[in-house]
Amino acid sequence: MNPLRTPFWGVEWAWLFYLLAALALAALALGLWEKISLWAQGRRAAPVASHKHPLGAILADVFLGRRIWRGGASAGLMHLMLLWGFLGLFIGTCAVAVDHYLVSFLQGKVYLWFSAGLEVCGLLLVLGLVLAVARRWLLPVPRLERRPDDTLLPLWLLAVACGGFMVEAARLAATRPPWEAWSFLGYGLSGFFPSAQAARDLFPWLWWAHAIISLGFIAWLPWSKLAHAFAAPASLYLQGQPLAVLAVAAEEGELAALGLRHLLHLDACTRCGRCVEVCPVAQAGEPFSPRDLLRRARRQARLKYSPLYRLPWLRDRRQALLERDRAADWDVAWYCTTCRACLEVCPVQAAPIEMIRKLRAGLVEQGSAVPPQLMDTLEKLHRYGNPWVAKKGAKAGWAQGRDIPDLSKSGPEVDWLYFVGCTTSIDTRAQGMARALSDVFTHCGVSFGTLGKKEPCCGDIARRLGEQGLMEEQIETTQALLNKRDLTRIICTSPHCFDTIKKVHPLFSEEGLPLQVLHYSQMLHRLWQQGRMFFDHPLPLKVTYHDPCFLARHNRLVDEPRGLLRAMPGLELVEMADHGLNSLCCGGGGGRMWHEIPGQANLAVRRLEQAAATGAELVVTACPLCLIMLEDARKTGGFEDKFAIIDLSELAARALGLAAKDGEAQASA
Amino acid sequence: MKILVLVKNVPEVAEAELEIDQGALDLEDLEMVVNEWDNYAVEEAVRITEASGGEVHLLTLGNEDDEDVLRRGLAMGAHAASHLCDEAFEGSDPATLARIFATAVKGGGYDLILTGVQSSDLGQASTGVLLAQELGLPHATMAIALEPGAGEVVVTRELENNTSEKVALPLPALVTVQSGINQPRYVSIMGIRKVRKMTIEQIQADDLGLAEEALGAAASMVDSQSLALPPMGEGAQMLEGGLDSLCDQAAAILREKGGLA
Ligand code: SF4
Ligand code: SF4
Repeated sequence: MNPLRTPFWGVEWAWLFYLLAALALAALALGLWEKISLWAQGRRAAPVASHKHPLGAILADVFLGRRIWRGGASAGLMHLMLLWGFLGLFIGTCAVAVDHYLVSFLQGKVYLWFSAGLEVCGLLLVLGLVLAVARRWLLPVPRLERRPDDTLLPLWLLAVACGGFMVEAARLAATRPPWEAWSFLGYGLSGFFPSAQAARDLFPWLWWAHAIISLGFIAWLPWSKLAHAFAAPASLYLQGQPLAVLAVAAEEGELAALGLRHLLHLDACTRCGRCVEVCPVAQAGEPFSPRDLLRRARRQARLKYSPLYRLPWLRDRRQALLERDRAADWDVAWYCTTCRACLEVCPVQAAPIEMIRKLRAGLVEQGSAVPPQLMDTLEKLHRYGNPWVAKKGAKAGWAQGRDIPDLSKSGPEVDWLYFVGCTTSIDTRAQGMARALSDVFTHCGVSFGTLGKKEPCCGDIARRLGEQGLMEEQIETTQALLNKRDLTRIICTSPHCFDTIKKVHPLFSEEGLPLQVLHYSQMLHRLWQQGRMFFDHPLPLKVTYHDPCFLARHNRLVDEPRGLLRAMPGLELVEMADHGLNSLCCGGGGGRMWHEIPGQANLAVRRLEQAAATGAELVVTACPLCLIMLEDARKTGGFEDKFAIIDLSELAARALGLAAKDGEAQASA
Repeated sequence: MKILVLVKNVPEVAEAELEIDQGALDLEDLEMVVNEWDNYAVEEAVRITEASGGEVHLLTLGNEDDEDVLRRGLAMGAHAASHLCDEAFEGSDPATLARIFATAVKGGGYDLILTGVQSSDLGQASTGVLLAQELGLPHATMAIALEPGAGEVVVTRELENNTSEKVALPLPALVTVQSGINQPRYVSIMGIRKVRKMTIEQIQADDLGLAEEALGAAASMVDSQSLALPPMGEGAQMLEGGLDSLCDQAAAILREKGGLA
């Protein structure tokens, strides 16, 4: 006898099956259509540019789940088994359909291997599902939520898989074909049927149960979190998109409108909770969670863009829900420090930093839900070009007594523009950085100048707070000053200015300014490598280094600062629990430096607890905002007798023997 | 409800270093901003019309640059704006200003006129009330809440020591608005750009049909004589230098004067 498949073996009412299948497929199609038409509107809101992310990396992320493994072996294994089990069964089902309706090829050896293959996939799926349920309920993975559908979905799929095996087992028990051992699982289970007749009698019941559960699953698929199967690969594919910048002429509401990529992100998120686990804000206990924000944004996007909510009887509900959400926008909009920790760990590149910017842009445009302190900050930025003081020309104060060329005026050529930045030029503690750096540059013979009191704000704060128009204005002002003297080589004190000038400014220049932008740590590293800077003053100190988010995560600069520290004689560098790309945010980014938020926790104190655990006598950082935040936390958190805080620039000046002229190195350690 | 709000552009002085040039504040290094109280008045008017319909018109008197204050108000949600802009208006005292405003406003059909309690630069707190007088309208000052109703507006007035008084005025009426009556919204750059194309009605002295003698310093009863900066306190001493040297100097002074045992 030639081994072959027996479709609808002994089952009557095939028409009913076809009817149910049609209904299930209709639900599937409706769900997919809703998603696709929703995503398509995002394309309109912000066009997709061609992308440059290597395809191999994307495929590895999708089919091997590389980013998922990083969150733990059990997660990686679970996903791999589910993905391949599911994929295998899906391909198998398609093959069966082809065999049944088009060309019959499932016979003989092919059929036997095919059966065995499906058994393996089914086994993978079942094991994956068991692991999934176990991880959520038995293993200590606190980041996982336990919402009803989180449990129902795997159990349902388990019922689908087990049902399939039972149907197969019944058929084998009833017919006992000679090739039954190829379907090894079904074969194993077939022993449970007492007799061939019992198996034959039970078969239709099992078959129908399996069919209904499976069709139900198909109908549910696009509406469940398994929709990520469609959205996540797309989201990963679009990760290399350039920053979306909308022209000033944007129509009302467009600034807050989500692009295709953002809408895909929303459906790609599986609520795995990795972002919550690393979010400094959520971890400090503030009432904010990036995962919840995404969930909420997804609901809003659906309300706004889904064709289903255009239906007359859903329209009122839509309006009511949108109103309610709008009232609550404030509650979630202003917590994020834009530290990027969430995006670093998110397996589908969906974490909500951009979404938060959009949310803020909407609030700023509308106006009445901007916290008063931030309003004051934005107004200062607008009128005085800095977030600190309502006074013009406050930016040159730090340089008193230093003879630095002012590049906003005409004068001799210099090699570098030193872009000091708002905080560094105005805050008394951070001014030490500017003085130290200008001394180091002078010492090393670097020819440089500044924009003096004309130096504008680079636009970072406005950008992070969602004030797009102000950001554009500031970028234009900056570029006008740069163009006046053809300044293209820039050194920044602040990682925030560095990030903005390097990544955002070029987007606003038609000719695409050929800027060479360095963070000062890169410049110092270069000077040291070139032998133009020699650290000859031993500093017998145990230090630890706090990576600023905008250096480490946003710009992957972790080695240069450490290279400098290692080059300083006598220094011993010890690392904190979270360091490098995993650095823990000081809490000063995203505009948080300038306002107090309800339920606020001191993020920097949490950071210093890690520093204290290292036993270091000195905490080094390389950002004016980090410096201020950590310095404050040192005082308020009771670390004053444990260690001092210093900026890398100040430490470099000391290692060069450029004794602090006026108390910048308060670190007396 | 048709509401008129008077607004004024004033220099922001809180953190600035002030200088006096020929008897007037040197505006060179100062930023012009909307008078704080007027900002509250605009917000209140916009909220009233957002809640129950109507229109908000803005009116200012000043030079060409002062148009900014109108654009800002339009971006907040006002519907139209007029600009009294003429050299002949310069040097007017509050009574003269009130006369100019009254002429411009007459026949506008406003149900409610709002002004700030005072302007932060001159602080006379009288233009609003004088305008009510000129127009023959009932008025209330220092409003910390407004409840417009049919044919009347109920105004809560802020009095000393946290007491307040509620008064009802028949409409049309004029109310001067105290700070803190609301939380004015943020005006984004984008918002201001969006109203860039709205036309602002320009009104000159001729358009008002007022004789030259009735305008400016010539018509004013009050004449500004001089402006003075706060005097440096007795015994104040300004130290100069870097942080370390400042600390050393301060410590030395303390020691010298017996402040440090
Ligand atoms: S945003 Fe990313 S990390 Fe956060 S829950 Fe969703 S998938 Fe997980
Ligand atoms: S960027 Fe940082 S603060 Fe913002 S949501 Fe992500 S992890 Fe949290």
